[in-house]
Amino acid sequence: MVLRLSERVQAVAFVAIVIVAVAGLYAVVQALQPAAVQTLVIRHARLDVQGEGWSIRYEPVATTNNTAFAILREASVALGFSLTYVPYEIPKGVFVTGINGSMNGDGGRYWEYWVDGSYGTVAADHQGLHDGDMVRWIFSIPSGGG
Amino acid sequence: MPTWQARVDEGLGDARTRILGVFLILVAILGTYWMHAFANIETVFVASLLAGSLLGRWWTVLVPLTAMAVLQPLEWGTTYRGYAIGAMTGITFFVVSGYVFVGFLGRRIRPKVLLRVKSVALLTTISVPITIGYDLWTAFGEWVFLTRPFGVTLATMLEAQVPFTLYHVLSSLIFVPLFGSAFLFLHAYGWPVRSVDRTSSKPLGRE
Repeated sequence: MVLRLSERVQAVAFVAIVIVAVAGLYAVVQALQPAAVQTLVIRHARLDVQGEGWSIRYEPVATTNNTAFAILREASVALGFSLTYVPYEIPKGVFVTGINGSMNGDGGRYWEYWVDGSYGTVAADHQGLHDGDMVRWIFSIPSGGG
Repeated sequence: MPTWQARVDEGLGDARTRILGVFLILVAILGTYWMHAFANIETVFVASLLAGSLLGRWWTVLVPLTAMAVLQPLEWGTTYRGYAIGAMTGITFFVVSGYVFVGFLGRRIRPKVLLRVKSVALLTTISVPITIGYDLWTAFGEWVFLTRPFGVTLATMLEAQVPFTLYHVLSSLIFVPLFGSAFLFLHAYGWPVRSVDRTSSKPLGRE
């Protein structure tokens, strides 16, 4: 005997299945999001921004802006240079598009960052800093982190 | 021999089909633009799938191509501006051909699509493997034109693609049933209007 469900029952069952599938997948997606960096006071962090033919240095004695992006934003406010970026929700993170008038793509160059010589592999607002860390933002032709 | 006017009429279908086609293009462009902060949460996929499965004819190709003709220059001109012309052209080819392929796959199931729960369920179910196939295709294109020159292996590229494909599947699971139900209804019954004289109580038959 074949059980025949009415259109209404089928619709309810389908909606329930879709909601469960979406909720489950959303939970997985959220679990894959990078963990937020806990705000801490860090001391003697240094920032070095190298554009094409110019550079900016910033060395706060202490700061609570303890990510590679937050210290850059702090410097842009303190020293008065422009900073443009695009915030993304999924995956969470900011994408820096321009510093001090130098925009991504100008002459095939893009903004990339390094912390203590290590190439940034996560969004800059998810890269935590520690006491004495050196953050370098360099406007260069991408080389895959090499 | 049919005139060009007759060919266009045949290719674009009746007035309802044309209006739905334009609606699908708008859904594809506006939805994707509004959600550009959410990677791979987009509406071009569902628009292409519905264009093929509901409207058929020239809309199978017109919907994805028109949406991409608007969205690709926007993308390359803003967030991703400055890439070499070869890389932009190559990746655009993979993205656009992927969506056109989605439209053609939608067209393959066209005879089975009616305003029934089963139809929405069918569209939603097949959207999952098609989404994964589309992502594999475009990830391969991105690897060829963007990351391979930097020494990135295809395996690394595909591994990095996994979370983005999960976002894309999530997008399909939300938008295919949502827009699928709405467009199946509009395709079958047209627009609800006040005047009884102007509306038909009879759904459109399949062709």
